Amino acid sequence: MACVVRAENEDSKGSLVRVRASIQPYDQFRPWQKKSPFGLNGTGVVLPGGKVLATAALVANRTEVGLEKPGSAEKCAAEVEAIDYEANLALLQPVDRNFLKGFSGVLLGPALRAGDKTEVWQLERNGEMLRNQAEILSAGVGRYPSDEAGFLVYGVRVSLPKRDDSYTLPLMKDGQLAGMMMGYDRDSQEGTAIPVPMIEHFLKDAADGLYEGFPTLGVSWSPLRDPNLREEVLAPKSGGLLLTRVNPRGTAGRAGLREGDVLISVDGFKLDEDGNYRDPLYGPTAVGNLIRTRPTVGSPAKFRISRAGKEMEMTGTYDRRAREEVSIPTLQFDQAPKYLVVGGLVFQELTGAYLQEWGDKWSERAPQRLVEYFTFQQDKRPDPDKKLVFLSQVLPSPITLGYQQLSGLVLLQLNGQEIKSLAELAKIVDSCTSGNLVFEFRDEPGKLILNAGELPASSEKIGKDYGLRELRRL
Amino acid sequence: MELRFVKSVLLLLLPLLCGCGNGDWQLGEAKKNVVMVEVTSQTWDYRLPWNPGTVSSARGAGFVIDRKRILTNAHVVSGARYLTVQREADPRKYQGKVLFVAHDCDLALLEVEDPEFFRGTSDLPIGGIPELESVVSVYGFPIGGDRLTVTRGVVSRIDYNSYTHSGRESHLAIQIDAAINPGNSGGPVMQNDKVVGVAFQGFRGDVAQNVGYMIPTPVIRRFLKDVEDGKYDHYVDIAIRWMALENPAMRGYYHRPNDGLGVVVTDIFSEGSSDGVLEKGDVLLSIDGHPIESDGSVRLDGQPVQLEEIVERKFTGDTVELEVWRNQKLEMKKITLRPAEMFSMYENLYEEPPRYVLYGGLVFQPLTANLMAGLVSGADLRLRQTYTLFGQDQLYRETPEPVILTTVLPDRSNVYLAGLTGQVVREINGKRIRTLADVLPALQLGGERSVIRFEGDQRPAVLKKKEVDQVMPRIMTQYGITQPHRTELGSRRLAKGSYKQEGDSR
Repeated sequence: MACVVRAENEDSKGSLVRVRASIQPYDQFRPWQKKSPFGLNGTGVVLPGGKVLATAALVANRTEVGLEKPGSAEKCAAEVEAIDYEANLALLQPVDRNFLKGFSGVLLGPALRAGDKTEVWQLERNGEMLRNQAEILSAGVGRYPSDEAGFLVYGVRVSLPKRDDSYTLPLMKDGQLAGMMMGYDRDSQEGTAIPVPMIEHFLKDAADGLYEGFPTLGVSWSPLRDPNLREEVLAPKSGGLLLTRVNPRGTAGRAGLREGDVLISVDGFKLDEDGNYRDPLYGPTAVGNLIRTRPTVGSPAKFRISRAGKEMEMTGTYDRRAREEVSIPTLQFDQAPKYLVVGGLVFQELTGAYLQEWGDKWSERAPQRLVEYFTFQQDKRPDPDKKLVFLSQVLPSPITLGYQQLSGLVLLQLNGQEIKSLAELAKIVDSCTSGNLVFEFRDEPGKLILNAGELPASSEKIGKDYGLRELRRL
Repeated sequence: MELRFVKSVLLLLLPLLCGCGNGDWQLGEAKKNVVMVEVTSQTWDYRLPWNPGTVSSARGAGFVIDRKRILTNAHVVSGARYLTVQREADPRKYQGKVLFVAHDCDLALLEVEDPEFFRGTSDLPIGGIPELESVVSVYGFPIGGDRLTVTRGVVSRIDYNSYTHSGRESHLAIQIDAAINPGNSGGPVMQNDKVVGVAFQGFRGDVAQNVGYMIPTPVIRRFLKDVEDGKYDHYVDIAIRWMALENPAMRGYYHRPNDGLGVVVTDIFSEGSSDGVLEKGDVLLSIDGHPIESDGSVRLDGQPVQLEEIVERKFTGDTVELEVWRNQKLEMKKITLRPAEMFSMYENLYEEPPRYVLYGGLVFQPLTANLMAGLVSGADLRLRQTYTLFGQDQLYRETPEPVILTTVLPDRSNVYLAGLTGQVVREINGKRIRTLADVLPALQLGGERSVIRFEGDQRPAVLKKKEVDQVMPRIMTQYGITQPHRTELGSRRLAKGSYKQEGDSR
């Protein structure tokens, strides 16, 4: 089946470069420090013009990224010019602009379909190219590692030998880039790849130096196959999906769409009962591709809906507000977690990254109140400017006597003032030099008291005892 | 009533100081009075709630106490369909019957009709709390043989512990290092010719060694006293949460001197004993005259115990008096105690058959501990959160008994509804669903379609009433369901629900 072909033609030279990333994630449980560093090695694709395409996962939480020429040990540091964790793509630029001079670069190829023959390229230790024959098994909307909604993804069958620098590999077709491999299972010999339409969207967006990202609609929906449900919601004779939740801040919400509407078509593409549109290339494809990969932020959106049996058109503008304007952010790579230590009480702002620190079963293991706030924030529709501040742990000290066991408590107020961010909390703490600090929490034990007058001395001692250089990062 | 306990405990503690009693006499008494209890029981299957359940057999121990009654563990006899008892001296097996069962403290009383069984028995007397490090003997019929077995150990710890049979209760328990193995359950633990406990639980060998637990005599006596009126009531609960008042700044905030006394009330459960009497921020200084230390302990018979122990020994309708520091003033508050029905969702159910409503292949069940345990593959996050936060967030005020769509029995009439299993039902035909009892009446409401809505952003389930009526016989035949619903609460009591709105007749 998949056989290995030694490259002989010169086209493949000057197209790939090794990417060496040194990764050091922040420690969400000890937000003042980072975890132990480790390295990831992948293969980047040199684009015409000397920039390098890689997956975002390869360079997430990096301290340093380097490029290395295949066939020689010549190295150069690189900067990340644009990165999209949802789409799992990153664009790197060598610090020495002439480093990749002489590399011809790879052009983007056409989009592929299921059944197409393709290749996955790897680099041998000596810089020779390994071209593994591959086949596209599927092209449809699927899960990306750091995205909840789904993007277009290729299922790829390929037999990949174990080689260095395989964390990211290019999927090639006739010497042109067809996709970036982002996952591979050695047992089933199947993997997933980010297809060229995604890469095109990403590169186009990054070209002006201001990266905006992929738009979102801001809705939850359900298929409308069930004839009983169709009758109940007065759906048209055929097609359409049922909107079960609409974020008022999102593209759909601001265009006027509401919960309970039947979405019939988007930008002229008719949706069927399962939420698919007919893609000119891929055939029936999930609506996610239609609204996320095809349009860009700022482009106009046109919806046809049926509301209580009456059809109407609505227009709006694609954006990412449903994803970005949230109280509790999902993704938080490369960002130092905020924290504030008040006399041993450690406060943090809740993020998806903090919860994921609890491991694969975070939704069972993390404090259930925090899981609730995060998972059901759409139900509660909190003000996106109001961040969720919580007591993550207590560093025992004389002034936190009796509080040592507490953790995972959502902070509501300090001295009667509502807390909307960690910075605000710090401001109130700083303004109190005497008297009590009365912290009010959502749950048991409700109130905790510290004596403000004791704070300066005690904070200094905590910093020294626990080796914290800084007691806050706001 | 409390005096009676204090006196008896004091008197009974005394003889323990002189070491072991007459070992021969004790063994003789045990041989006469310890009985093997063999039980065939049936366990309901919450995934197939209409089925009578799986049959299994188990062996435990028990012992004869006064009035020709046999004391054993609730978990030995729960779900019993057929029960025999056998004495060491008599090869015959006599049929027994459960008189009372208390799942919250894992105790049960049995009776045997045939008086022949009791020939030669002599009621084992019930003693007090043994001293730490004193030697006790455990009698029972553990795995490894069929004859009466004796093991010995010392009292290792006397403390609150969870009673795993109930799933939520904690009471006083005594840890001993004598080997306690399956089959010991229900057997007496003796010292100085008296019963000082009932062996009831331990750890698996890979978790801990030489750790066994017995139910101490205050719990046994409470149980025996409770059933004197012919029925067993539940334990009562003060239904508050409190926090230790150890922090100096916190003590200052509540205007309490640094005298090491008092705890602060942090939560009061609606519908509980203290609802309307105590307030958040109250500092509790004493309970029934016992000063409360700042860690929440009181001295009882010279021993530090949690303040709840005072409440533990009381019964429904009894009162407890608290000295409360509120708004910088001392007040005396009297609390009339009652069980905390609102937490009954967290208790494992044994005797009661599972309740459900079948509607066109959709199976609705109330959320219970048994249901959660039956969800092998892990529950949907919203269901799990509803379960976890039910007590803490006092969700019972709104929904005393959340109703779950647990199963969609596949049928050609419901092919599009399979994805909705595990969802929490919010309303049916516009009627808010607060308990399982609401489901059947709500399904009668509305027009030709029934619309079932769920919590969160799920699509509704829509069924044609006429079609449901048509397919029900087919579904019941195909899946072997004998009755379309079972909704009677039986002996269970739920939270009242403080939502009372117009249109809600309850």
